[in-house]
Amino acid sequence: MTTLLTGLRLANPNSVEEAIAACRDRPGSRFVAGGTDLLVNMRHGLSATEQLIDLSGIDELTMIATNGGGVTIGAGVTVAALARSPGIAAQYRALAEAAAGVAGPGHRNMATVGGNLCQDTRCIYYNQSEWWRNANSFCLKHRGEICHVAPQGKRCHAAYSGDLAPALLVLGAAIEIAGPQGRRTIPLSELYVEDGLAHLALAEGELILAIQLPPAPPPSAYTKVRVRGAIDFPLAGVAVALATADAKVASLQIALTGTNSRPFVVAGTQDFAGRAVDEYLLKEIERLVQKQAQPMRTTIASANYRRVAAAALARRLTARLFAESAV
Amino acid sequence: MTVDRFAANTFARRGVPLIDGIEKVTGRARYTADLDHADALVGRILRSPVSHGDIVRLDVSKARALPGVVAVITGEDCPHTYGVLPVAMNEYPLARDRVRYRGEPIAAVAAIDAETAEHALSLIELEINKLPAYYTSEEARVPGATLLHDNKPGNLEREVHHEFGDWREGFATADLVREESISCAEINHAQIEPHACLMDYDPLTGRLTVQSVSQVGYYLHLMLARCLDMDTSRIRVIKPFIGGGFGARVEPLNFEIVTALLARAAAGKVLMKLSREETFITHRARPQTDIKLRLGMCRDGRITACACEVVQRGGAYAGYGIITILYAGALLQGLYDIPAIKYDGYRVYANLPPCGAMRGHGGVNTRHAFECLMDRMARDLGLDPFAVRRANLLHAPTRTLNDLMVNSYGLAECLDRVEKASGWRDRIGKLPDGKGLGMACSHYVSGAAKPIHWTGEPHAVVNVRLDFDGGITALTGAAEIGQGSSTMVAIAVSETLGVALDRVTVVAGDSAVTPKDNGAYSSRITFMVGNAAIDAARRLKAILTEAAARKLEARPEDVEAAGEVFRVGSGEQSSLPFADVVKAALVDRGAITVSGSFTCPPEAQGGKHKGGAVGSTMGFSYAAQVVEVSVDDATGMVTVDKVWTALDCGHAINPLAVEGQVQGSVWMGMGQALCEETRYLDGLPAHGSFLEYRMPTIAESPPIEVHIVESHDPYGPFGAKEASEGALAGFPPALVNAIANAIGIDLNEIPVTPDRVMDALIARRRQARLAETVRAAS
Repeated sequence: MTTLLTGLRLANPNSVEEAIAACRDRPGSRFVAGGTDLLVNMRHGLSATEQLIDLSGIDELTMIATNGGGVTIGAGVTVAALARSPGIAAQYRALAEAAAGVAGPGHRNMATVGGNLCQDTRCIYYNQSEWWRNANSFCLKHRGEICHVAPQGKRCHAAYSGDLAPALLVLGAAIEIAGPQGRRTIPLSELYVEDGLAHLALAEGELILAIQLPPAPPPSAYTKVRVRGAIDFPLAGVAVALATADAKVASLQIALTGTNSRPFVVAGTQDFAGRAVDEYLLKEIERLVQKQAQPMRTTIASANYRRVAAAALARRLTARLFAESAV
Repeated sequence: MTVDRFAANTFARRGVPLIDGIEKVTGRARYTADLDHADALVGRILRSPVSHGDIVRLDVSKARALPGVVAVITGEDCPHTYGVLPVAMNEYPLARDRVRYRGEPIAAVAAIDAETAEHALSLIELEINKLPAYYTSEEARVPGATLLHDNKPGNLEREVHHEFGDWREGFATADLVREESISCAEINHAQIEPHACLMDYDPLTGRLTVQSVSQVGYYLHLMLARCLDMDTSRIRVIKPFIGGGFGARVEPLNFEIVTALLARAAAGKVLMKLSREETFITHRARPQTDIKLRLGMCRDGRITACACEVVQRGGAYAGYGIITILYAGALLQGLYDIPAIKYDGYRVYANLPPCGAMRGHGGVNTRHAFECLMDRMARDLGLDPFAVRRANLLHAPTRTLNDLMVNSYGLAECLDRVEKASGWRDRIGKLPDGKGLGMACSHYVSGAAKPIHWTGEPHAVVNVRLDFDGGITALTGAAEIGQGSSTMVAIAVSETLGVALDRVTVVAGDSAVTPKDNGAYSSRITFMVGNAAIDAARRLKAILTEAAARKLEARPEDVEAAGEVFRVGSGEQSSLPFADVVKAALVDRGAITVSGSFTCPPEAQGGKHKGGAVGSTMGFSYAAQVVEVSVDDATGMVTVDKVWTALDCGHAINPLAVEGQVQGSVWMGMGQALCEETRYLDGLPAHGSFLEYRMPTIAESPPIEVHIVESHDPYGPFGAKEASEGALAGFPPALVNAIANAIGIDLNEIPVTPDRVMDALIARRRQARLAETVRAAS
């Protein structure tokens, strides 16, 4: 039971400033680029707005530029373009793998990097039609009083399931943000909050302009589990970046998606520096991930599966990167 | 590129593309939602927000008063039940008094546009007194549970208890008896085209013109007449292009009747397009099924007895339920030689959308359990899975214990073909860890030999007409739904007449011009309509041959027709081109219409026991398949690497179409086995989109190698049997058997989603740890 999109205004700004101004003029406006997330939700009667501000006409947002060895990726670059970029694949493999695995080819052609980072959190009680949610007395995330996933609790547990964020997190990305108060740059990790209802630390009228990746990244990889090899959102996605020295861990970064309300870097991996990547270390990695991943009943697949699979993937990617470093 | 007009007739070994294929791939084909609805009102349905309850107040006055609203209807507007089985019509198009599942239609609106119609729905005031709701067979069967239907104690739609042969003796003499409990999740057809219909009621003439996605225009016709209190002659049912059925549309559906009621109330034309979610809620697909199966087996693999208990969670209304629970037992037979069978079936009501028929109707889930258990017993006895199947083959012609005819039987050859093609003998047991091979067999009916409505009419009628233009038109009520039925009719007619395929035009599914047909279900069309088409073409050919004989001054029995030439012997002088034959034939009589028919004789219509007609058919198709898998034991992910399938379809009338249908059924079996399932959260469908209902994508689709086996059925058209369903049921067990081969774990639940596989792996690790602890302690 699809909600009709009627009486909707569409603004077509040509610059970032115009986009921000359009939003200031009509509070509650939503920025849209590929629309692969937002429009689907709007068709479900979610993310209602009177005005969409189409960012696709802003040239500034669509560049991939190298600078001083690092790379700046415009927020309007499509996921498909990112997946195709030879420079990204060569240096930032986790990001290329994440981009290539997003949804299906049609989605990747439309979806943008900025939109992927700002993807709404998801839950089987939320991503349903208006009729469905109404019959279920709505939910904490939208129009309702309780979270059906954890009725005793006070917060929304909808899960973040973008693929690019964990890859960018282990690669140490920062993001440039523009808004009514001007421009600012923050580490990507500070964009996200562990709250399914408000998981983005963006103020009204703020939008992401670009992603900055530092030079000389460590080798990295991304993988995920999902029921089907295309279309599905990750039940758990894992990015790992591993730097080695003398066949030992120099630095290890692990980030997860699909398990919590935000993508996050697993804490405590700095203790692994100087260790050999052996069965003991891999078991510790599994335990660490199992402890910090907190999937809830937001998908049909069991929460425990997502926890166990995240840990297994973290172990697998670390072992693979280590094996590759020895070659 | 030039096209040789007769090249199309070389299909004998290669086949021809479907005759309506060009329209589909060029986008010219008009599906129901594409029809001209410029002046149509928009229909919308108000659906129950609760699973079970009594309607205490339903006030549509505000909706009726909204400007732009032309009609609002409720259960008050239709006092008649509807359904596909005359003995089990217990459903109203719009609920009256009681609702029994979330999403059940309660009221409907026709308005000038969608926005107004939706606004009107929001103005309808509804109050429901909730009753206890049951979402599992187990809950619904608890003594004292609230009844969904007062006349159905225990919430049972139907119990079946069948015994054939001395099963006690069979188990007593077995060398090995093993029992397994296996369950299969509910699935849905997930046909690509969402439900839609366009109903046009002319208040001046009192006539209703119906265009809908139905696979069964005839049953729809009957139910519209019943529910609208109309004479059938005032209704015309037309079938547009249809985007898949798979059983979703083999019974008249509530939205079709609701839209017709709306059209009459609005005195006009109403277009109803259901969303994907509503299409899922309309459901009528394969029920969640619990199977307890026990087999007795000799050391050499011969089966001595079979005891099978099946519980199907059928949803809130009867639908096809009685047939489904009977099929589940009847189709235990007909594949192997089994000396004794006990079957206990229970069709249970629950507060969920009603189940129905789906490709492989009734047989798939019990076949799954059977083939899994057979494999496990083979392992227990140290036998090869192929050897166990070969130890139990039938020999045609024969009759099964439940009196089903087996007239042709190509299973042995199917087994040989896939065993060889997959390299089974060289590879089984030698694959690396995590990789496995599995196999299974299956079969399906070529049309139910006893029709649903016993009218005494033939099972199928085809009319063929010929006029001055030399064009041959085959008129059939058979619903072309993408399976190739119209192409099959064209080939049957052109082959019989010896004319080019493109001389034949097929007009299908318009009650004003085509003879009645029961519809596209139970794989009946090739066998029944194909035979009727051949019969009609033969009658036309007799007329043409007689005319040619007159012209050629020869006896009709000496005239031969091929390649659009009628000739006597081989002489140039004594031949006549088709156009001249037509002219000769039309002299005195003018345009010709002949009628051909096909009827299954009473001896084909099953046993005399209660429910014995279900499963009866003139010809079973047979299939064997081998599946190769990889299992990732860290993530529980199962990958299907390759499938080899052999199908005995009697004779491949159109090999290209057969191959497509076999791949389609294998692929659909794969969906059920691997990832498809409907899941409800307190009766609300959590699967109401193609994101959450996980049909395999091309990324999961393995190469499917199809081998066609031709056993030349004595009664089939050109020896043909069905080809669209038989290969489905073998996939799920072949996959589960392959997983057992790969990782040594027997899974008793499908689909084998990664979380289920992971649970089994974790359980095994836990057991192994426990065993180690015990060893350490002892």
